[in-house]
Parts: sequence; C-alpha cells; structure tokens
Amino acid sequence: MSTDVNLEQEGVEVKKSACYFCHQNCGVLAHVKDNKVLKIEGDPDFPTNQGGLCCRGNIALKHLDHPERVNYPLKRVGKRGEGKWQQIPWDQAIAEIASRLSGIRSRFGAEAVATAGGTQRTDDWARRRFMNLFGSPNGFHNAHLCWIPTFMVETAIYGWCPFDLDLGASRCIVLWGQNPGASGMPEAHHITDLQEKGLKVIVIDPRFTETAAKADLWLPLRPGSDLALALSWLHVIIYEGLWDQQFVDEHCEGFAELVEHVEPFSPEWAAPLTWLTPEQIRAGAHMYATNKPGNIQWGTSVDQIGRPAGATMHARALLRALTGNLDCPGADLLTGPSQDYLTDEELEGNQYLPEEQKAKQIGSDKFKLVSWPGYSKICELTKKTWGKVPTAEWMCEAHPPSVFRAIASGDPYPVKALLISATNPLASYGETDVVLEALRSVEFMVACDYWITPSAMFADYIMPIAGALERPIITNSYGCADFMLTSQRAIQPMYERRNDFNFWRDLGTALGQTDEQWPWKTVEEAYFSAIKPIGYDVESFDEFVERYRFHFPEREYFKYKRQGFATPSGKVELYSSTLKELGLPPLPEYVGPSENEIDHPELAAKFPLVLTTGGGFMPFHHSEHFQVKDLRFLRHSPFMDINPETAVELGIEDGDWVWIETARGRMKQRANLTSGIHPKVIFTQRCWWYPEKDMRDIPLGGQLGGALESNGNILTCTQDDYCDPYSGTWANRGLLCRVYKVEEAELKEVI
Amino acid sequence: MARYAIVMDTRRCIGCHSCTVACKVHNELPTEMVYNPVVSDGPHGTFPNLSMRFLPLICMHCENSPCVDACPTGASIQREDGIVYVEDKKCVGCLSCVMACPYGARYMNHETGAVNKCNLCMDRVDQGLVPHCVATCHQKARIFGDLDDPTSEVNRLINENNGVQLLGELGTEPHIYYIG
Amino acid sequence: MSAKHQTWGWMLAVDFFFAGMGGAMLVIAGLADLFVGRDSVSLLGSVVGPLAMCVGCGFLILELGRPLQAWRVFMNPKAILTFGAWMMTFAIIFGFIFASFAIDFSLFFWRDSALLRHLVAILMVVTGLIVATYPGVLLARHKGRPFWVGPGIMGLFLLSSLVTAFAAHYLCGLIVAPRNVPYLWEAMPYVLGALLFAQGLLWCGYLWIKLSGTSKSEAASAKRWISGDQSQQFKLAFLFFGTVAPLILTLIPLTMAAAMAAVLALFGGVTMRLLTVNSGNDRTMIPGEAIYRSRLPKGHEKFLGKAWL
Repeated sequence: MSTDVNLEQEGVEVKKSACYFCHQNCGVLAHVKDNKVLKIEGDPDFPTNQGGLCCRGNIALKHLDHPERVNYPLKRVGKRGEGKWQQIPWDQAIAEIASRLSGIRSRFGAEAVATAGGTQRTDDWARRRFMNLFGSPNGFHNAHLCWIPTFMVETAIYGWCPFDLDLGASRCIVLWGQNPGASGMPEAHHITDLQEKGLKVIVIDPRFTETAAKADLWLPLRPGSDLALALSWLHVIIYEGLWDQQFVDEHCEGFAELVEHVEPFSPEWAAPLTWLTPEQIRAGAHMYATNKPGNIQWGTSVDQIGRPAGATMHARALLRALTGNLDCPGADLLTGPSQDYLTDEELEGNQYLPEEQKAKQIGSDKFKLVSWPGYSKICELTKKTWGKVPTAEWMCEAHPPSVFRAIASGDPYPVKALLISATNPLASYGETDVVLEALRSVEFMVACDYWITPSAMFADYIMPIAGALERPIITNSYGCADFMLTSQRAIQPMYERRNDFNFWRDLGTALGQTDEQWPWKTVEEAYFSAIKPIGYDVESFDEFVERYRFHFPEREYFKYKRQGFATPSGKVELYSSTLKELGLPPLPEYVGPSENEIDHPELAAKFPLVLTTGGGFMPFHHSEHFQVKDLRFLRHSPFMDINPETAVELGIEDGDWVWIETARGRMKQRANLTSGIHPKVIFTQRCWWYPEKDMRDIPLGGQLGGALESNGNILTCTQDDYCDPYSGTWANRGLLCRVYKVEEAELKEVI
Repeated sequence: MARYAIVMDTRRCIGCHSCTVACKVHNELPTEMVYNPVVSDGPHGTFPNLSMRFLPLICMHCENSPCVDACPTGASIQREDGIVYVEDKKCVGCLSCVMACPYGARYMNHETGAVNKCNLCMDRVDQGLVPHCVATCHQKARIFGDLDDPTSEVNRLINENNGVQLLGELGTEPHIYYIG
Repeated sequence: MSAKHQTWGWMLAVDFFFAGMGGAMLVIAGLADLFVGRDSVSLLGSVVGPLAMCVGCGFLILELGRPLQAWRVFMNPKAILTFGAWMMTFAIIFGFIFASFAIDFSLFFWRDSALLRHLVAILMVVTGLIVATYPGVLLARHKGRPFWVGPGIMGLFLLSSLVTAFAAHYLCGLIVAPRNVPYLWEAMPYVLGALLFAQGLLWCGYLWIKLSGTSKSEAASAKRWISGDQSQQFKLAFLFFGTVAPLILTLIPLTMAAAMAAVLALFGGVTMRLLTVNSGNDRTMIPGEAIYRSRLPKGHEKFLGKAWL
C-alpha cells in the first residue's frame, strides 16, 4: 500500500532539489538511486516551506514520468493542428529550426521572430541572451499580468521595488489582491505564525478567500476599483494627519502637489466606486497607517485590472512613502539588486542587441514603461545608485497582445515565427480569439514544453523540456533580489529532455552564435559563474547547493540615508519626474475600471454583473496540471462563484453549467453558490482546458483540448484602450458580464 | 503505551488540500478514495458579514470504534496505541464497517474488493515519523502526538484550547481533536 | 465514482428480504407445530423458509467485494454480522430438519419422534426469530446513519418479516395444501390484513417521528421518503401497492383476492428493504462535507478513463 521505500539501502543519495510547480521553488529532498528518484519530501531545513509541500509539490513523481509528457523532439508531419508528429533526434530538430529562423531573419529581419514565455519557471536569461544575439527585441511573457508593471512603477518613484517584506517585525500587512492561502503556502504560514503574535492582516479582495476568512479586516471592493480605494486611502492619510511627517519632509519630493491632488478623493467619493462604505475605507487606512511598521504585499490583481492598473500601482506606492514604510525594520525593504553575485541581467547579454533593433520592439511606442524606452530610463537611474540594473527579461518586453495582433495582421511589420516556452498562450494570454488567430496564421512555430498543450498543437516542432527534479534552480525573485536560494537536479533529465537553457544555447550555436557568447555548456556552469563572485570555497554549483544552499547578505536598513533613492532627485518622488518624462501622469489620476457601470451605462445594461477572471486556486497553477489525476479529482470541472441571491434570480442551482458572457464572447463553467461574493460579482476560474478531449483543431474535427470551452481568457480584453497606458497590461478583472444557464441540449459532452 | 492522536488547528488550516493529495500520492490510493478531505465550513452569514473555517477530515481512530465492532471477519483491528487499520487479506468487502463509520472514513477499494482506510501511516509512526498528511502541512495545522504523554504538544493544545471531537455525541471517542 | 458502491446495494436489500421472510416463516411454522398441531402449515412453506434464507445468503455473498472469501464472516464473535451469519446457518439447518419431519421418506427415521420434532421446532423458532429481527437490529445500531438509527427500524423489519412470511405461507399453502388444520391457512389472510394495517400505520408514524425528530439529518433523510427522490417509490410502490392494496384485498373473502394480496405484500416487503437500504446513503455529514463530496468525480468523467498518473 504505502509507497515508502527502503531509503537505507546502499547507493541512495539525498539531493537538495526543489519543487518546480510555481516559482516559490520550495525545498525538496529527493532520495535518488541510479538516476531514479525513489521518494521526495519537503525539506525541513528550507527557510520558506520548512518541510511543507502543497498539493502540487506532492505530485512531483507523478509529473516526472507522466504518460502524456513530451520526452523527445517532435516534428509536425500532418496539417497544422492535426496532431501528427514524428519523433526526431534533438540535434536534427535544432538544425531544422535554426535553418527556418535564419530564413525568416533574412527575408523579414530578426524582429520577425518573437518568443513567448509563461511564468518564471524557465531559464529566462538564456532566452533573452539568445534573442539579443539573434537581434530580436520581441520577447515577452505574461509579465504584464504579474508584478512587472508594479516593479517598474515603484522603481520610477523610489528607485527599486520593495518586494522583500521584513515581516518578522511588522505590525500590519495589507494583502492587496493576494490570497496566499491558495497560492503561496510559505507566505501563508509565516503570516499565520505572525498573526498569532499580533500582526494585523487587511485583505483587499472581492472574494471571501481562504486568507480573507482569517483576516482582521476584509475589504470586499468592486473588482477593478482598486484605484479609487488607493486614492481615498491617500486622502485619509493626508487629511486625517496619519502621514509620517519626518520621513516625508526629509526624504520625499512633491508632497504639496500630492496634497492638492488627492483633495477630492475622500472616502465618501470612493464609496460608490468601490462598493465599500466610507467607514470601511477609513478603517483600512487607519489600520495600515497607525500600525507601524507595516507592509503592503503585492498581489497580481492590480496588475490585471487593465486601464487603471498603472495609476493604482502608482497610488499604492505613495501609500508606503507617506507612511514611511520603506526600508526600515519591519517595513517593505528596498534591497536593490545583488551586490554579491551576477544578477540575471548580467547573464542576459543585453549589450548585444543593437539600438535600432531595440527601437523596433512591438508596443514600445504605445506602452513605454516596461519596454525599452522606460527600461532604459530606469536603468540609467538604478545604475547610478545601485551599480546594477533590473532584469531585462520581464522588465523590458514586447507588448504581448500587440505581437499576437502583428502576427495575424502584419502591422506594424510582419512577425513570422513564434517560439513559445513553458506557456500555453491559448489558455493564459488575454483574448483567446486574438491568440488563436495568431497561432493559426503564424508561419513557423516551436513549442518548448512538458506537454502537448492546445497551443503546442499548432507548433511545427515541440521540444521536450526538463522539469521538476531534473533541473537546477536559483530562486531570487526574477533576478531582482539580493538573496538567493539554490537547488540542484535530483537526476539528469529523463529521455531526451533538456533544460531550455540547452535549447537556446544549441539553437544559438546552430545560428552561428559563438562559444565566447555562450561560455557555459551547462546550466550548472552558468550558475556557478553567477555565484562565484560571492567567494564561497566551492568548486561547482552542486557543491554550493550541498554545502551552503542559500546566500543571505547582511541586512542593511535605511540604505537611502547612505545613497539616496535611485531617482533623479535622489528622493522619493511623490510627484514623479521619471513618469512625467515618459509622458505619463506624474501623480496618479483617477481612471474608472476598464468596463464599469458609471462610464459605460449602455454596456452595463446588457452586461449587468461585474466579472473577475483571476485568482489562483488549488490544486492547479495557471493552465497546468489538468492531466494529473491525483490533482484533477479535487476539481474535475471548472466552477465559478456566484452569490445565491443572484443565482435564484437567474434560476441557477448549485452545480449547474452556466454561460458567462462579455462583449468578447462566452464560455461555460459550473455554478458554485457562495455568499462569499457580492451579489453583483462573478468570479470565474482561469485558464481551463481539458487534456482528455480531442486535441485536434476544431476545423479538423477536434475540440482543441476544450481550450475554448471554459477558459476565462475568452472573456478578457486586450484592446489598446483597455490597456494600462503605463505598462500595457490588459484587463482580466473588473469587466462587465452576464450569466445564464446552459440549456440541456447544449450540454452533451461537457466533461 | 502510546495513544496516538492528531490535533487539527482550524485557526491555522487554510484549506489548501495538501494533506489530501500527499496522502493519496504516498499511499497510492485510487481516485475515489479520499482519506483526508478538507471541507469548508462556510462561508456562513450574509455578504459581507461572513465567517468560514476549514475542517480537515480523516479517520478519527475512535477509542470506541464502531467499525471494528462491525467487522465480521476480524480484519478491522485496533492496535493498543489506538490506530485502527484493516488487515487487507482478511477483509471480504462486506461494507459493514463502511456503513458503521459515522465519519465516512472507509472506502471500498474497487481494484481489490477490500475495504481500506487511513492507518495513520502506521509504518511511518512505528519508525518514529509522523503521518504524511502531517509532514506535508505547510500551515502546521495538523499536530501529531501521544495522548498518554502528559507533556505532549497534543495534550497541551487540547487542554488549552478546549479541543473537541467531531460528532462527539455519538460516544465514539475519536483520537482526532479540533481546536480553534 | 465517489459514491459508487460505497454503501450497501440492492443485493443486500434482497438478502434482508429473503432472510427476514425465511426466518419469520420458520417462526410461524414452528409455533403452528407447537401450538396448533403437526403439519398445520404447508410442507412447501416449511421448505421455502430455509430455502429463502439460502437464497438470501447467495445475494449476501454476491454483495461482498470478495465473494470467495465469504467464509471469513464467521470469524469475529463480537460482530453482530458474525452472530447473524451463525444464526442464519443454524436456522437454515433447523428449518430443513423440521421440514424433513413432514416428508414421507423411509430414511428419515426420526420423523415419528414428536419430542425431537418439538425440540427442533423450538430451536427453529428461536433462531428464525433472531434471523427475522437481526437485520433491523443491525441497521438500528448505525449511529451515523440518521434514517436507520433507533429502535424503530427493528420493529418495522420484524413486522415486515411477519407480513411477508404469512404471505409466503399462504401462497405455499395454495400450491401444496397443509395436511392438517385447514383453518389456520384459511385464517392467514386476516392475520396478513391486520399486519398490513399495522405496517402502514407504523411506517407513517416512523417517518413522522424522523421528520420532527432529534436531528436535522434525520429530518432530511425522512424528507427523501416524503417529498424527495424516494417518495414516489415509497408512496406508490410500498404504501399503495405493497400495503394498502393488499390490505383491501384481504378483506375480500375470495382465494384469488387473498393470493393477490399475498403477492403484493411480498412486493411491498422487497420495496421497503430496497428503499431502506438505499437510505443508508444518508450519513450525518460534517458541515461542508456534502458540498465537498458533491464536487468529486462521479465516475463517468472522461479524464478518469485516461491512463494518467
């Protein structure tokens, strides 16, 4: 019955590996014999998970040799989307892909090759290095939806992004659109521990989440209305005298402008916009501003609200500054980039990309902050203060929806090749219709993945990628932290799987990039070169992992007193000259949610409910793990949350299949009746697809793995006017929708 | 002799389902067998005045175990340390114990025709380890220990927090306690 | 999938029916022999009694997850099921021995010993009564099954066993007439009618008590019979066709009507057991458990068919 195996037998080694099913990379001890993993367990000595593993972490051995895994390079032999593949050797695949890319570059220029990534579970610096050497500025991730705009807005205001929370000494944490109870277990347990010691927790979330249920204050705002809340908190903190006068006087610029700017944004003004009472708004502002030191924890939600996103991040950043909760004990720390080891940016080879190619980056003319114009500006500033700059991969990318549109339309110029790595864009990028059109029409496509996803069905080549337990990892917050946690491979990759580093390096080499440009043959060599400057007495990356594993530099508070903030004035710029120079508002101006009942009454008449499509939920991660039975059984079909009151009005019962429709289209999920959501709000689960369904494209008689059936991104919007003018991030939340029952006749073959 | 118990700290349980999956994976359970469901008690109330907690369930390893009494073959056994388990080869799959258990903790394994249940990972417990569901819990919401040891963490938690047993009115005297 | 065969199924209900009927048939045959006179019930009835219990055993064995290991159910003297299994075995043996007294076969040399016959009759009455009662006792002891728990179900099962036993004896007598004392057989429809009246009354009372009963889950389980998914079968099949209709038929002094009443009463007996066993699916749930289980796969979902890990 039990799978416990004899670990005392001869030849069993314990490898200090990591979980790889989200980018927390929890420590895992892998018991290995003869390149086989016998057993895994959470590493009790790892500082984040302390021996725990979440649902996903527990299935690593199921994932490792799952029957659906891609184990060898596959070459398309049938029609695109038909799912007919031929297994070919790795080197042949590399040679053929290189020759196709080379042809496209000579016909259309290097910028006609785009690459897309998913979340941070790839050797991203290697992809960036490849793209820089190849000459294309058109790499991107779902970065816009996840922290990156926040990073850049905050860096513009106070010179780095304070993502390292000094929670141990904190008295209050604001979880702004974050639900660690379902998405970040290590964080959740730290918060729980500290709550027992008196930490106050404020949860801002339209849903009564796992985390909200344990909070001291829950603010269930209208999805997408975060900006009104942030502005009214600014108002309360200033006009009710809660700001940190000394910090503001000594270290901030532009206070007078801000005072005047937020004057109209009273809680009474914000109440009808946020669906909160003025008392709730005041209670939150007071709790945060008077329980010092305190933290505001970032969550993806604000990154995903579309048009008001940048202004919201901007206002939220000012909250920290006004309360002095920056880089002091217990507050949000400005670590800056690592001074000790080579950052990801230093491995990316950004010097190789010619200036004229940078200028061609798609979307950089419209959305300047997280593309070359804004990134270059930020780099100048951080270089001066920190000596280093943020990672370009993530922080400086092409605008994904614009690239997908360019593929289909040729505007602003032809994009002919798309290489996707660790992403299933049909499920995870906005406006599925737009992505689908691009995938169907792109001339050449390669997918690097574990699985044949619905998106990979359109690829010409699928490359088998090493996954959990098969790859070494440095975990350091997108290469922007000053610490690092490292983990080693438990085993060499099985079958012909390789790290994506090897893919980009091999491809680069086949395209004429030189060994000098790629001085490392393995990821371990590259990582060793990164950690070498720290000066540990180790001869290899593995030895570092085995003997030290972590590097935490001595913590220095109040760095700004020594070196100032990395802004033009050297101070926190409440009135941001950097943003102003980029043509953006220097102070956060109020913009309504991307779709709302006040600015768009006709739309609201047709779509009377407010939709949020985001939010991680166990046991899945983004569009992953639907084919792992030991996870799938927990939620075998998608559920959307609806208030019972609304459900009664619409004749919907618990478990019914319902259509959720926006101006973009409709998709179906099942109704979960819960009082944990406002009667006018609908929450859908994101990224659903059904690997058990016919994977062929729909015109070829298949179902495309059900990728168009229950997928939240059918509903989202990526049109330019829905996007945030700062960063270009699009609207996943705060949209208008309607909900109605799926007719019995339409229900055949749902799951 | 030890008497093993788990304290479920509902103040800490966040409903992440790790225990459910860890148990399934490590014990290689068929899909329909869920030894460690984590259910959501709530949300109760009307929006936005709500409350909710999570209840991790498991075999209660009852002191007065109705399942052991119900078993006609003697396959259901309670050890001296309180662990209730099924000796697979003796089970005929009559489901008497499944019906007798008030907690829904027993399952027919359709692959073998026998009834299986949580045995508190007794192989591990005998080696001095904690059950998989306890080991995997990030939140440390499951605390494993010995009721007969007056200084144990489980005793402390139960006494300080008025630990309760589920469906205590049935008199089954579970070895699983809930606090918070 | 989650609920598939995780509770007792229809075969166990059929076992309960045959065991209950068979046990009560032994009781009637034995008591008739002791207090009315030799061969006062039909020989066929004496044979059908133990035979019915054999058939019941057959269904019980098929219900097991491992039918070939069925012998193991005799192994735990503390378990009520083990006790039941032994009692059923004894009852079957005594039943057949008793029947042998009524068979004119020279090898059955014991058939003329009245003492022996009375002794067997007593043993048969005792074991038969236990077999007729014990399914009800078994169910009544299930603390976590709100529909079953409490002494009521024991009475209802015993009553139903008697109803079906009288019906079966009457039908047997119709085929093979009792050799002696015809008035006993002739009186059976009236007894049956009286028992059916009691059955109808007690069942309504039982549901009413459950509905207004001690716990929410008991009320919910009763609702399934009154207005829920079991209400049609309960009202139409059991209450009307299985109880009221035969009761009316017993009042008609025609053999045909009485025979039809007996057949319907048997039908009612099976129906009642199917419904009662099915109600064992109702368990007193932990808060939130019902919704959790409702979200688990049911068994038809496509992904379950994949050879996935």
